[in-house]
Amino acid sequence: MIHMNNVTKVYPNGSTGVENINLHINKGEFVFIVGSSGSGKSTLMKLLLKELDPTEGDIVINRVKTNELSRKQIPYLRRNLGVVFQDFRLLPNKTVYENVAFAMRVIEAPSRIIRRNVPAVLALVGLGKKGRSYPNQLSGGEQQRTALARAIVNNPPILICDEPTGNLDPETADGIMQLLDDINKRGTTIVMATHARDIVDAMQKRVVTLQNGHIVRDIEKGGYSDEA
Amino acid sequence: MRPSTIKYFVREGLSGLKKNLLMTMASMVAVAACISILSFSYCVGSNLQYMLNQMEDSIGISVFLKGELTGEQIENMKTEIGKIDHVESVEYISPTDALDELKQDWGADEDIFVGLDNENNPLSHSFQISLDSIENQNGVLTALENVDGVENVRHGQTETELLLKANRIFSVASVIVMLLLGVISVMIIMNTIRISVVNRRVEINIMKYVGATDWFIRWPFIIEGIIIGLVGAVVPLLLGFPIYAKVTSAIFQYLPVIKFIQFRLTGDVFGFLIPFGVIFGIGLGVIGSVTSIRKHLRV
Ligand SMILES: Nc1ncnc2c1ncn2[C@@H]1O[C@H](COP(=O)(O)OP(=O)(O)OP(=O)(O)O)[C@@H](O)[C@H]1O
Ligand SMILES: [Mg+2]
Repeated sequence: MIHMNNVTKVYPNGSTGVENINLHINKGEFVFIVGSSGSGKSTLMKLLLKELDPTEGDIVINRVKTNELSRKQIPYLRRNLGVVFQDFRLLPNKTVYENVAFAMRVIEAPSRIIRRNVPAVLALVGLGKKGRSYPNQLSGGEQQRTALARAIVNNPPILICDEPTGNLDPETADGIMQLLDDINKRGTTIVMATHARDIVDAMQKRVVTLQNGHIVRDIEKGGYSDEA
Repeated sequence: MRPSTIKYFVREGLSGLKKNLLMTMASMVAVAACISILSFSYCVGSNLQYMLNQMEDSIGISVFLKGELTGEQIENMKTEIGKIDHVESVEYISPTDALDELKQDWGADEDIFVGLDNENNPLSHSFQISLDSIENQNGVLTALENVDGVENVRHGQTETELLLKANRIFSVASVIVMLLLGVISVMIIMNTIRISVVNRRVEINIMKYVGATDWFIRWPFIIEGIIIGLVGAVVPLLLGFPIYAKVTSAIFQYLPVIKFIQFRLTGDVFGFLIPFGVIFGIGLGVIGSVTSIRKHLRV
């Protein structure tokens, strides 16, 4: 589903984001990308989203070599990728319902389907009754659930999460992880960057550890710092 | 495009304009100024042209011939003059015809005609020349200087030349002013759209992540430009319609000197001006927003 072959990203200012990454992720996997601050987790996520282009190497997503995509084709690649960020990135002047519907509207989904899918997804993330609320009327966890609903409402095969629990307290974070696990069980491939040791330890999923832009550890099923 | 998508673009465009009301108003005023000048210069210019056309029908060149020419010489001159560029027709007027015409104009009983008849006719042979367009009069006059047997030439040069000159100066001036205002409008619209893009950068960012196409992201801003252009054009055009009708009828009523000329009908003028002005205004809006998008919207 996702293949990174000898991928290196050097930023224009000369600093190295990641170096010589070889990473292969199968359909349905749940993969944690861990590592200390500055180890290259976000860089790797941005490469997957084609927000950045690799300096060297190539990336294949869903059998599509993303290096070769033209600008016009990028939106169609992105429709395969749901995204969740640490800072939620909701539109403050839109309700929860509208924030989620927005993701469907901008890919020109029929209104009928929007009206059907948005409430279903909101119910799935536990926000069935919050559709009319505005983001500033929600707790952090609820805001992240809204962002999660928005990320999955178009049913992308892959979900990319960059520190989705970074701004949440442990209990709230657990709720989000539960939800991600459910989404993963329904068949969605999940790649999640985090440095929350306890979450990784609790989930017992594949863990890829970055250090100075290199993959230094890749464990099939394990905790944050287990030996391979 | 789905109707719901179009509705979405229009709604987003409108909300973008509302959030940025001051700049929106400024842009609309700039477009309105441009369209006002366009309308004004079209009203004046097309009326000048209209008057010129009316005069063209009545004004030609009269060529008076030397007295001692034979019929054959006159016939040759007629052919020669007929070959001059821009000459549409040459009509020969004999002294007898001229006298008859004069008598008709003045009334045959007038004292001045006493003793004048075909035996004793002081009038000359002449040609009445009509041109394809009054603008070519000078060229024809020069050509006539080289025709043998011409005694003297008369024409309505002064009035028409004045009108022609006025028309030319006016069109050049109005095109310059219009271009200037057009450029200013486009620049103000560009700035308005730039602010709108900045206002929406979070939204644009999310749209990109969820896979909106570049054009989907651009359209609301183009709609903003279209709305600015449309409102900026429609308002002065709708105001101009009754103003034109009032002004022309007032001139007609209070300035009897120029009663012999006519103004173009309000319906004719605005039948052209309204669609043209609206397209022009929308054009300014689209140019402004598209340039701004290209510069500021890195999608
Ligand atoms: N836009 C950028 N321009 C230049 N260098 C960058 C840029 N973004 C990241 N880097 C550099 O690339 C390296 C990896 O950064 P990255 O953001 O991927 O780390 P991270 O693992 O996500 O860190 P964190 O846990 O703090 O989010 C760092 O050395 C960083 O300084
Ligand atoms: Mg990061």
